[in-house]
Amino acid sequence: MLQIKDLKAKIDNKEILKGLNLEIKPGEVHAIMGPNGSGKSTLSNVLSGKKGYTVSGNITYLNENLLDLEIEERAHKGIFLAFQYPLEIPGVNTNIFLKTSLNAIKKAKGEKELDAIEFLKLVKQKASELKFDEKILSRQLNVGFSGGEKKKNEILQMSILNPRLSILDETDSGLDIDALKIVSEGVNALRSKESSFLIITHYQRLLEYIKPDFVHVLINGKIVKSGGSELALELENKGYESLS
Amino acid sequence: MIEQLKIDFDKIVGSLELSNVSLKFRKKNFNQFVENGFPNKRIEDWKFSDLNQIISSNIENLHFYSDLELSKPDETIFIDKFIHNKIVFINGIISNIDFSQEDETKVLLTRDLNQSENFKEVNPLVSLNNALTASYIRVTVKENYSLNKPLIIYNITTKDLKSTALNLKTDIVLEKNSSLKVINLFDDNSENNFMNIVQNFNIGQDAILQNYKIDHKKNSNIKYFYNNINLEKNSISENFIFSTGSKFIKNEINCNLKDEYSSAFINGILNLTNSQHHEIKTNINHLAENTKSYQLIKSVLNDNAKGIYQGKIYVDSKAQKTNGYQLSKALLLNENTEFNGKPELEIYADDVKCSHGATSGNLDEDAIFYLMSRGLSHQQSKELLINGFLMDAVEKITDEEIKDLIKNMIGITE
Repeated sequence: MLQIKDLKAKIDNKEILKGLNLEIKPGEVHAIMGPNGSGKSTLSNVLSGKKGYTVSGNITYLNENLLDLEIEERAHKGIFLAFQYPLEIPGVNTNIFLKTSLNAIKKAKGEKELDAIEFLKLVKQKASELKFDEKILSRQLNVGFSGGEKKKNEILQMSILNPRLSILDETDSGLDIDALKIVSEGVNALRSKESSFLIITHYQRLLEYIKPDFVHVLINGKIVKSGGSELALELENKGYESLS
Repeated sequence: MIEQLKIDFDKIVGSLELSNVSLKFRKKNFNQFVENGFPNKRIEDWKFSDLNQIISSNIENLHFYSDLELSKPDETIFIDKFIHNKIVFINGIISNIDFSQEDETKVLLTRDLNQSENFKEVNPLVSLNNALTASYIRVTVKENYSLNKPLIIYNITTKDLKSTALNLKTDIVLEKNSSLKVINLFDDNSENNFMNIVQNFNIGQDAILQNYKIDHKKNSNIKYFYNNINLEKNSISENFIFSTGSKFIKNEINCNLKDEYSSAFINGILNLTNSQHHEIKTNINHLAENTKSYQLIKSVLNDNAKGIYQGKIYVDSKAQKTNGYQLSKALLLNENTEFNGKPELEIYADDVKCSHGATSGNLDEDAIFYLMSRGLSHQQSKELLINGFLMDAVEKITDEEIKDLIKNMIGITE
């Protein structure tokens, strides 16, 4: 599904990613762990198309050159980034935003757009699965949401948009244990043969709830070690120092 | 221009039935205007909007008298979303008055020019209006009466009207414990006119005025509004300005909080493109204890547009416990746009709460990235953010029907 070859990314002339290689197949869950400043968020930004990076190397996604696609085209083709810091958008109603987003993707795929009633039904169902208070959806997007509510809102969007490749950028940061469980259940419910996940995290904690197939260690812009889920435990015990 | 003005003044005055007092008043005001001319940027209040220059570069051969005959309104422009009372001005002449929704003993109308409120020497434009007004209406709402339906004052111009100045005057009187919702709606089909519209509002004790001004249709006209609002004890004036249609507008509001517990709200939107140039200028005068004022102005500027907000809060030494607030936020979508904000607080009492704020900036690129990462196009993301930015001010409109009307005009759907 996703092949990254020798990916380098610079911002303001500073090289952050220094030749990263990664392959994700359909249905796989990959975790990327690494210390602060190792390039984890840069990787998620480059994958979702954020401007401002000078990028070289190759990224193939569903047999297309991902780097040729605009931000919204990547979303249309099933890439979803759950933000580390979801933005507050004043004056924009959360429900209206969700509907606009879902229908933009449906339209791009040539599928029938949902009307207000169909949409509300879907959103109600997904919100109750995530134990997410629906009332919050009639508020302005992320405005005044707690840290946990913002993250849950990201997972709600993910479950409504039903992406092929979900990138979770430190979704566990700032979550208490109950919220972490709910968010993990949301992710686990979306696991399937077709959909893949790239989970970026500092800590092993999240991986107790979402069991990854592969764990990669990202240090100084490169993957220095890959392994199975046991690697996460090893890191938790020994720290990143042992690998750098 | 002065020669034309003199000829037109004689024609206008000759066509009206004026008392000697009125005639004298008009002559005096006429001379005041002739002495001063249109305001230019050397005058402090006009430093961001040089009207003299704007008129001379946009209107050739400005004249002040029109002999167009009364025409019938194009009814398709009437708002059909809710039932309302109507006053219809076409090319500056009142063509239609309809208060059939109301108890006619409770809403009194007069068109006698000799009875209009007369302001003295506010500025040359008000003097010009005093001298040349040919169309006038006063609406008086009697004590304890609340209108069943809103009043829409339609201001329509037709294609036949060119390079003509129109001077209109309206007085609204709300007696004790009465209420009125009024919308001033503009439908400009003419070109290169100068419209000078003076409105006075006397709001009695416990009375409530909701006053909405909608200038939405794109046009090449130049408008000056002078609104004077007098508030008695425990009365409320809510104002909303939706300013997006005309080439140039200066909206000037002078608001006198004359007695205790009166409050004034002035909120508005400037949404401008091309070389549009709109200004809101307010003077809020807190003249008694426990009075309140609130102002929120949101501006979105595109292309070469220019927006201005000059907001002044004056607190008299008698006006203890005043609560005054103003905030202006502007989005500049292009480097050729310009926004000027000038907040002024002039406070002579010591126990008051007054604050002001102003920001201007571009759209948040991270917010655009967030929305685009959810499948929205760049254009859709921009629109959503701009509408969200404007919603803040729109949400201040307390009448739901009128709020929906304005949301529709902006293109906000729910």
